[in-house]
Amino acid sequence: MATLFIDNAPYQVKEGKNLLEACLSLGFDLPYFCWHPAMGSVGACRQCAVKSFRDEEDTRGKLVMSCMEPVRDQARISIQDAEAVGFRAGIIEWLMTNHPHDCAVCDEGGSCHLQDMTVMTGHNYRRFRFNKRTYRNQDLGPFLNHEMNRCIHCYRCIRFYKDYAGGKDLDAMGAHNHVYFGRSEDGVLENEFSGNLAEVCPTGVFTDKSLKQHYTRKWDMTHAPSLCQGCAMGCNIIASERYGELRQISSRFNGEVNGYFICDRGRFGYEFVNSEDRIREIGVKGKPEIKDRDSLLRTAAARIREGSVLGIGSPRASLESNFALRKLVGEDNFYHGVADTEFDLVNLTLRILKEGTVRTPTLPEIESADAILILGEDLINTAPRMVLALRQAVRRGPGEALSARMNVPLWQDAAIRQAIQQDKAPLFSITPYPVRQDELATKSLYESPDDISRIGFAIAHAIDPDVTEIKRLSDEERMWTAHMAAVLLRAERPLIISGYGAGSEAVIKSAADVAWALKKSGKDVRLSLTVPECNSMGLAMMGGHRLESALDAVAHGHADTVIILENDLYRRAEKTLVDEFLQKSRHVILLDQVYHQTAEEADVIIPAGTFAEADGTLISGEGRAQRFYQVFVPDGPVQESWRWLQQLAEACGNRTLSHLRILDDFVLEIAKTCPQFEGIEHIAPPSDFRIGAQKIARQPHRYSGRTAKEAHIQVSERKPPSDEDSPLSFTMEGYHGIPPSAVVPFFWAPGWNSIQSINKYQIEVGGPLHDGDPGRRLIEPGDAHTPVFFAEQAAPFPIRPDCLYLIPQYAIFGTEEFSVHSPGIASRSPAAAITVARADADSWGLRDGDLLEFQFNGQEYKLAIQTNQQYPRGMGTLPIGLKGVPFMDLPGWIRLKPVERS
Amino acid sequence: MEVYRKQGGYAAVEKALKTMTPDEVLEEVKKSGLRGRGGAGFPTGLKWSFLAKPEGVPRYLVCNADESEPGTFKDRDLMVRNPHSLIEGMIVSSFALGANTSYIYVRGELFYVIRILEKAISEAREKGFLGKNILGSGYDLELYVQPGGGAYICGEETALIESLEGKRGNPRIKPPFPAVSGVWGCPTVVNNVETIAATSWIVQHGGDEYAKIGIGRSTGTKLISACGNINKPGIYEIELGLPVEEFIYSDEYCGGIAGGKRLKAVVAGGSSVPVLPANLILKTMAGESRLMSYESLAEGGFVSGTMLGSGGFIVMDEDACIVRNTWNFTRFYHHESCGQCSPCREGTGWMEKVLHRIEYGHGKMSDIDLLVDVAAKIEGNTICPLGDAAAWPVGSAIRHFRDEFEWHVREPRLSQERNYGLAGYADPLPVQAAEA
Repeated sequence: MATLFIDNAPYQVKEGKNLLEACLSLGFDLPYFCWHPAMGSVGACRQCAVKSFRDEEDTRGKLVMSCMEPVRDQARISIQDAEAVGFRAGIIEWLMTNHPHDCAVCDEGGSCHLQDMTVMTGHNYRRFRFNKRTYRNQDLGPFLNHEMNRCIHCYRCIRFYKDYAGGKDLDAMGAHNHVYFGRSEDGVLENEFSGNLAEVCPTGVFTDKSLKQHYTRKWDMTHAPSLCQGCAMGCNIIASERYGELRQISSRFNGEVNGYFICDRGRFGYEFVNSEDRIREIGVKGKPEIKDRDSLLRTAAARIREGSVLGIGSPRASLESNFALRKLVGEDNFYHGVADTEFDLVNLTLRILKEGTVRTPTLPEIESADAILILGEDLINTAPRMVLALRQAVRRGPGEALSARMNVPLWQDAAIRQAIQQDKAPLFSITPYPVRQDELATKSLYESPDDISRIGFAIAHAIDPDVTEIKRLSDEERMWTAHMAAVLLRAERPLIISGYGAGSEAVIKSAADVAWALKKSGKDVRLSLTVPECNSMGLAMMGGHRLESALDAVAHGHADTVIILENDLYRRAEKTLVDEFLQKSRHVILLDQVYHQTAEEADVIIPAGTFAEADGTLISGEGRAQRFYQVFVPDGPVQESWRWLQQLAEACGNRTLSHLRILDDFVLEIAKTCPQFEGIEHIAPPSDFRIGAQKIARQPHRYSGRTAKEAHIQVSERKPPSDEDSPLSFTMEGYHGIPPSAVVPFFWAPGWNSIQSINKYQIEVGGPLHDGDPGRRLIEPGDAHTPVFFAEQAAPFPIRPDCLYLIPQYAIFGTEEFSVHSPGIASRSPAAAITVARADADSWGLRDGDLLEFQFNGQEYKLAIQTNQQYPRGMGTLPIGLKGVPFMDLPGWIRLKPVERS
Repeated sequence: MEVYRKQGGYAAVEKALKTMTPDEVLEEVKKSGLRGRGGAGFPTGLKWSFLAKPEGVPRYLVCNADESEPGTFKDRDLMVRNPHSLIEGMIVSSFALGANTSYIYVRGELFYVIRILEKAISEAREKGFLGKNILGSGYDLELYVQPGGGAYICGEETALIESLEGKRGNPRIKPPFPAVSGVWGCPTVVNNVETIAATSWIVQHGGDEYAKIGIGRSTGTKLISACGNINKPGIYEIELGLPVEEFIYSDEYCGGIAGGKRLKAVVAGGSSVPVLPANLILKTMAGESRLMSYESLAEGGFVSGTMLGSGGFIVMDEDACIVRNTWNFTRFYHHESCGQCSPCREGTGWMEKVLHRIEYGHGKMSDIDLLVDVAAKIEGNTICPLGDAAAWPVGSAIRHFRDEFEWHVREPRLSQERNYGLAGYADPLPVQAAEA
């Protein structure tokens, strides 16, 4: 610790930080623009100037940029000094010379860092008597709006987009006060993290285009702490609503999970909530008169009682909903609504994490890894946020070394970046096909899944001879495995990443072997295994049977009534099987949110609440239990699935759920009856939690129009809904200070209206939230023991004539079921085509765009092909889950139909 | 090449590589008291000694030939007329610094100069002064000419490095200085053309010899590019310490004011240094005669002094309009501001607009104080010296010629018709003394 004198008062601060961080962490209001806690300092905007004094005697002092000055013991600075105050106001005055006076019609207004800083510095009268400069704006695609006239040239956008996220199509152009931040021509911003620009930009240059179509000020929206449902990363989000419509998703800081940033699927994939395809009404086939809750429950209960029932759970439904279904149908009749291959992969993953010796990493642990091995994962498409973390990780090692050599602190971003040049920490990526993370890799290899696992096991063997030695490796493979093993052994914090992406259990096992071998040799290693959906891990932990057995049960007449929880079975099993299953079932009861093919076949459709209309708990791929909260109460009969299922159980006379009424009851019951979930009752305060006898308000204290907005329907104000499930209130009444970190509905602090107010919610700027980052890890490895390695001898990947080994390929935009309901996401979805090695296509006489006819599991398919020179021979990829792509339980061998050559 | 060799060219290379160690060369340069000829006047030997020398990291020497300051045109002629003196200096200096790759970063507009340099480099290579194992000494050096994109800011050493790396020419924050992290993140020295050319003479004749030339801590000779209202504009190599008065009025140099008019003001070191009225450029406040040296020109600080700068000597006679001239300079700095840090990016544009308004008779009295305020806030608060360079001419013009600015505001019509003239501030005495 160092003693820092600020305006002659002593403060204890951490050494090594910069003055700006120190001042903000102490609670001082010091304006800034170009500095960002995650991106460090560049000293460009000159806004954070303070006076620095040599010693007590020095009365003149010198202006310094606080973001560029490290904290030194006994340093004396002044924030209040007249020259510093005048200079800071002067900077704002300069920035304002060209900033338009359009706050009233600007999307950023009310949550604008520039507004806040302008008020903070006190600049208010204008001395600039000239025309303002203007720019032509660009069409940046479906996600972001571009309004360059508002730009204050803090360079944050390109520092985030280019430097932090590795984007290539945004840059600074031009010079002097006519610098332009944009693309070289109109077009979609390609980077998967572009949406963060809306938060990174301190003013309204880059704004959320999806919000624009139903624009509402920050203060006029109802917000709730929520979780992204787009993948299993568990990124924390804030979901915001007005007029019963979800209007915006923004990032909610969680230092352990997503930090400040989320991906574009998470930010823009919310529009299904408002979609026309939503299931909002109760539907009973043949009985259109049943529209109300009670008669539905009666009808459904009668059908459930009538026959023998089975339940199909879902990896995208909350723990509580799956639990309720399992209770309703009984443990023996609870099946996982996931493809069988996926079932096996996720269960294997869970077993490795639970019984193995290596922990999963948190976000900061990923970012501080100093050697990384990726086996089989196309991370940008299976766990997008992780790629952003890896991008920071590969810079960190060289950065730290240079920082020490040059005596320049690590937060001095520009200097460190310039010194690093192209240098990076070792990252090895072995995948079936070229992927985004290749640009971070020191070495990329493209191999079939079989060969990836062989290489993985070989690396493990090179680390620990107890692992079975893999025979018949090529010379090149042998050389690389030796090199990778040596590099991993040299590292202090190695990280091994694998997961469901390659569709291969062997690949996951080989990753586990590498990690366990490293652990055995004393390394502080981490193992990250991706899983497909937001609650895949939770469902696997809960346990249940394979989907295949459910299909069998109905086929053999063991069950005839099916309750499907939040699931489209046509995405989980092949069409003919599902068709047969649904036809053979006497009653199909579906609880879901959006219409899909299964809903067409269901006899009873029950409208379930989306993440914006429900509370629940999810377990992320890391094994972290986190809670998401309802944002608003929807019109009509829509409610949480777990609540529906509880009511159904009651109606059936099933008493197992009758003591569970509110969310807390479910959470406590799960924690009590399932030891693997012990602790989930502590991840967030219970519903009776109060601060000064108040609930936490979901609406900001400036929320307007509450008495007027429904006056065209009913003049008197409706009674606001009460929330019995959470410590949050649905109105602006309640506590407006800083609540426990798990229930922060929005970030706001006096004088800090924008998202930058996160500073005030953190123990120290950039550090964890007050009260600790939310969530609790449920999976920790067992006590140190000698692992039993998986490795066994396997033959190299065989290339079979007239056959192709087809593996699934995922797309950040397109694969996920719900996010494609956002038109923007749908427009970025890739083509529905099989990709194969060019040499293979040539040998069949096919070219790009030609149709490939093949057989798989007895079915015939016909799909267009794309060729790629870098693909391994004998293997192809199919973009799974895309519109126009039929479900196939991949990977598997497909038999090609002979091509008729003309 | 032949001519240069005949006159003793490349003798310094032979002497340095065959008989001296790099440290000995550095020692000679230190002894010579040579100071950077690019403008700042930082002692070259000291700068070289700051170069970090970590194990296994290459070092670079970069010659800054991006000369583009209004009023300065000395390096261009040096490179055109005597490219080998630069190349010889580059070899000697690179040897002293232990650099095996060196660059000459030439202003993009000087395309013909680039051709000349490249030809000269290939000649030097043919004769074995460049490449592997030069003169059998075991020392390797590759020399490259890199054309700039034509931005003034790329004459700032860190912006030059960014540009050299193929990036946008935005200056870097210092520290770290290029001596620690420069080209490709490696230790780098950036020197002006004239500085590097001087090193070969120093090596050949010894640092002590060089130190004998000049006056005090301003050793050696300096190229001065004189222009403006003088009889003989051109480039003059002067011994530092020459009286300013002699430089302006002697027939050996500028040859007096053109048309027999009277001297009004001088910008002594390129457009970025403070402008001084006739009385203050010829004599200091203390009444001593001002000399062409780093110290003498700076005497009196910015209240009554200026800087030797890059040696761009701009002379203005009694018909010159200070407001117009200041506007013109500011227009240049506004255009050349890289747009990275706020004070310079926004401030230069604003100053230019205000000056334009005053010059064209639409100014207000408060505009003058506004200019002073903006210039003062820019000064010292920017990432690179371009902000200072833009603020000093404005600050000094108003400090010394405030009457003229006020007259423009008071007499908007008249100021469009005629110039303010010499008026009160140019002390007529030294002028008469010169005439006499």
